[in-house]
Amino acid sequence: MTFSRLIHICRQRVQALFRRNRLDEELDQELLFHLEQLEQENLESGMSPSEARRAARLSLGNIVVLKEECRDQRRVSWFYDFRQDARYALRMTRKHPGVTAIAAVSLALGIGANTAILNVGAALLMGDLPLPDSDQLVIVRSVPPNDPRLVNHSSVPDYVAWSEGNRTFESMGLSIANQQDLSGDDIGVAAERVFGQAVTPSLFDTLGVHPRLGRVFSQDEAQTGMPARVVILSDRLWQRRFHGDPDIVGKAIRMNGKEVKVVGVMPRGFWYPIENSEYWVPLAFTRFQLEASGRLFMVTGRLKVGTTLEQAQADVDGISKQLELALARNRGWRARIVPLRRYWFGWILQPLLTLEAGVILVLLIVCANISTLLLARVPAWRPEISLRLKMGAGRGRIVRQFLAESLLLSLIGGACGVLVARWGVSILEALRPPPAGIKISGLVQESGILGLAVLLSVVSSLIFGLVPALVASSSGSDIREATTQRKRGSLSGILISAQIGLALILLVSSGLLINSFIRLVFDDRGFNPKGLLTFQYRIPVEDYTKRFTSYRGLPGMEITPPTEAIQRVYEKLKTLPGAESVAGSSAPPLNGLLLPRATLHIEGRPDPTTPSEEAAANVVYFLVTDNFFETMKTPLLRGRDFDSRDTRSAPWVAVINQTLAQRLWPGEDPIGRHFTADAAFGERPREVIGIVRDVALRSVDNGVPQAVAYTHYLQQPERYEGLNTGMFGQMTFIVRSNQDPAVMAAAARRAVAEVDPHRSLANVQTLAESLGGAIESRGYPVAALAVFAILATILVGVGVYGVMSSSVSLRAREVRIRLAMGAKARDIVGLVGVRAFWPVAAGLMFGSLGSLTLTRLLDGQLWGVTSTDATTFVAVTALLIGVSVAACFIPARRAMRVSPSRALRIE
Amino acid sequence: MPKPSDLLQGTLDLLILKSLAREPLHGWGIARRIQSLSDEVLSVQQGSLYPALHRLEQQGWVIAEWKNTDLGRSAKFYSLTRDGKKQLDRELEIWRRLSSAVGLLLKRA
Repeated sequence: MTFSRLIHICRQRVQALFRRNRLDEELDQELLFHLEQLEQENLESGMSPSEARRAARLSLGNIVVLKEECRDQRRVSWFYDFRQDARYALRMTRKHPGVTAIAAVSLALGIGANTAILNVGAALLMGDLPLPDSDQLVIVRSVPPNDPRLVNHSSVPDYVAWSEGNRTFESMGLSIANQQDLSGDDIGVAAERVFGQAVTPSLFDTLGVHPRLGRVFSQDEAQTGMPARVVILSDRLWQRRFHGDPDIVGKAIRMNGKEVKVVGVMPRGFWYPIENSEYWVPLAFTRFQLEASGRLFMVTGRLKVGTTLEQAQADVDGISKQLELALARNRGWRARIVPLRRYWFGWILQPLLTLEAGVILVLLIVCANISTLLLARVPAWRPEISLRLKMGAGRGRIVRQFLAESLLLSLIGGACGVLVARWGVSILEALRPPPAGIKISGLVQESGILGLAVLLSVVSSLIFGLVPALVASSSGSDIREATTQRKRGSLSGILISAQIGLALILLVSSGLLINSFIRLVFDDRGFNPKGLLTFQYRIPVEDYTKRFTSYRGLPGMEITPPTEAIQRVYEKLKTLPGAESVAGSSAPPLNGLLLPRATLHIEGRPDPTTPSEEAAANVVYFLVTDNFFETMKTPLLRGRDFDSRDTRSAPWVAVINQTLAQRLWPGEDPIGRHFTADAAFGERPREVIGIVRDVALRSVDNGVPQAVAYTHYLQQPERYEGLNTGMFGQMTFIVRSNQDPAVMAAAARRAVAEVDPHRSLANVQTLAESLGGAIESRGYPVAALAVFAILATILVGVGVYGVMSSSVSLRAREVRIRLAMGAKARDIVGLVGVRAFWPVAAGLMFGSLGSLTLTRLLDGQLWGVTSTDATTFVAVTALLIGVSVAACFIPARRAMRVSPSRALRIE
Repeated sequence: MPKPSDLLQGTLDLLILKSLAREPLHGWGIARRIQSLSDEVLSVQQGSLYPALHRLEQQGWVIAEWKNTDLGRSAKFYSLTRDGKKQLDRELEIWRRLSSAVGLLLKRA
């Protein structure tokens, strides 16, 4: 179609719509002109004037029909039909404010919640990440042989092999968390512990970011064993500590007491890979790390343009197979490519999906409910509809008219839903992923919210409007009213069943999640967090390790665990006024970023040979002080706690947890047995002196119980050579007291400063806070589902009530006669209730089956309950039965209030 | 757009477009012209002329304008648009092919 023709057609349509009267007038004129010409001709051919007029009219045919045909050519009759439908819809919504209000509110919640969640999901899956071409960025992780659920980061040899051997990556970079004390004396502020990352120079290239000031690291600054004393600051740290000093580049600052040169400042808002990263220092591998290292290093890679994830996966798989052959430590380990987006947001998608499933159920229940309400209204309209059908209105026309009303209701709901959706997005924001600090609301598009709200409104209006529309339009053509009524009744029944069934699924799911959440909050985690304050005291690695020799080109490190310095702080803390009990642990007891591990060799058994045996002997390994279990209030199942008997010179001992006892000594008594850990060179055999209950290591774990060995931190080799694993120079102290945590924290700071004025305390928090933070973020989706479950319950009540009261009013006459004949209240309730029985029973049946199938999907998100938890099923079923009975009872009661004599008079 | 099977309607459209090819005409004039050009063989069903004209106008093939006739009477004059001229060519082509095919068929049958 040419453009000029398009313009022409548009102009025609616009005129047809807005200048209808003028066009009609012109049409009259045109035809009149024709008639005149015909008449003239007829006169000329010798007819009398009246004859001429008659003949002219005859030859033009029925002029009214002709005009109508001409008007039909304008193709805008849909508009007038639409206007009529809209007027009808407005009239209906005003006439039934109750139905309108219920529909608007419930649709607003249903549409709003779906819109919010789908938009947030889309934003997380497709929104822009704050890094250039972020869809090419991936994380390469390591999967252990035994449990694919426990995905690790990677080791240095893995990284070197991947970054040198790959064919699918543009570049790769490595990072590992780092923390240092920024000394304050030279700039006149207090010392501060800051968190950053040690990174390979290639990381910034891989990310594709450039500093706002200065430069990134050069390869020279990360030569093996010799990290340069340089640092790149984040914009935030630069502003906060150095007041945005424009000449900062080239200046030296003091970190961990040593001078470090600032070489660059990153752009505002940049952080990687976690939000708390405030500085970056070069990561130079040691010779040891190049031989073997822990799987603690995060590998970030940028795929070559056009490379798929599958190709990259195949590429690293090939390299990992070679690594397995070359390195004993790599046996059974696989690499896994995870897109950066999934690494950051993957964990949130599952709860989001659960929520979305929940709100889809809500929207379906809402639709079924509105459908029942509209259906209940059909009888009142039957006379008008039959009349219109008899007058020749098409069935489609009537269906369309009913759908127009549904659409109006739906759009009112959708408009309110937009507000609900905006609010919902801000609630979902509270689910902010821990590893990334991206603002979800910034990623969500306003047009997406509006578009989806409109789309969902239209779809919903079809879902809830079509059945009532079809039933209403068929009633006139059906001669036997009774048949129609029965059909309508059974349709209402089906809708009630659907509502109850869907509500049951929703209630069971949210019931399970609520149940699980309550357990999560109140469950015994193997320790009592009440009144526990924790803080970290840390001595820099350089202070207790020393490079002392070279052996075949490898630097030998001499490690002197600073046990005395720690012991001094510990002894001081024990004298804190108000402290009931004090203990320490080499790693935070809860939510530690890394869990130190060691492999145990059990006396009298051969060393493990297969990867699975090795993995079984590899356990979480804590060095703790006296009274650790007493302070944590962890129940000792057998044996004793560490105490003052356990000195450096006493026999070395260990306490193990239940899982470890089960795993390594199944059916035996581990007390008195010995094992040697490979935590350091110079380890001695330790005797197992106690078994404790399993203690949660994370606020919310994945349900895989971990084997844990606890040893006394005084009982470690005094001085040894080898690899520093970083677990010796720090102690997380735990203080139990009844006092205000803030007061205790201040007292602890003063006490530590007395012993060691150079170190600051880090991560001062109560264990309840540490526990609560992660739990809280789990609470939001559960709370949201709970709200929807309540809404669904109310809707079911409204739906059953609507159907019942309409059925009672239709049978009012029968009820009155029965009452007059002496029927008892019970009989009437039975008479009405029996109609509700089958739909409710069928709904419960269908819902139970559906729940049993669907709640299995929740398995990974439950904590302490199974997906077929009988209590939840029974409670929810009872609740729905209760609501249905109540909804039947009210209309029945109303019918019965009529006294028998009055009932007869009405008849 | 007339469907090929819709011969009658298509034919009427063709006749209208063709009669407007030379000069703008009002409805009455079109009817006259078709009649006179076909030596009074074809007489347009006058009632069907106007819906056809309005349809062509809505489709953008013709455009209408109120003008005075030679006798000073105001009338609605239709003329071909540029697109209408092209449409006429297309319809003529279709018609020629159709009529020659039908002619051939009748000759051979």
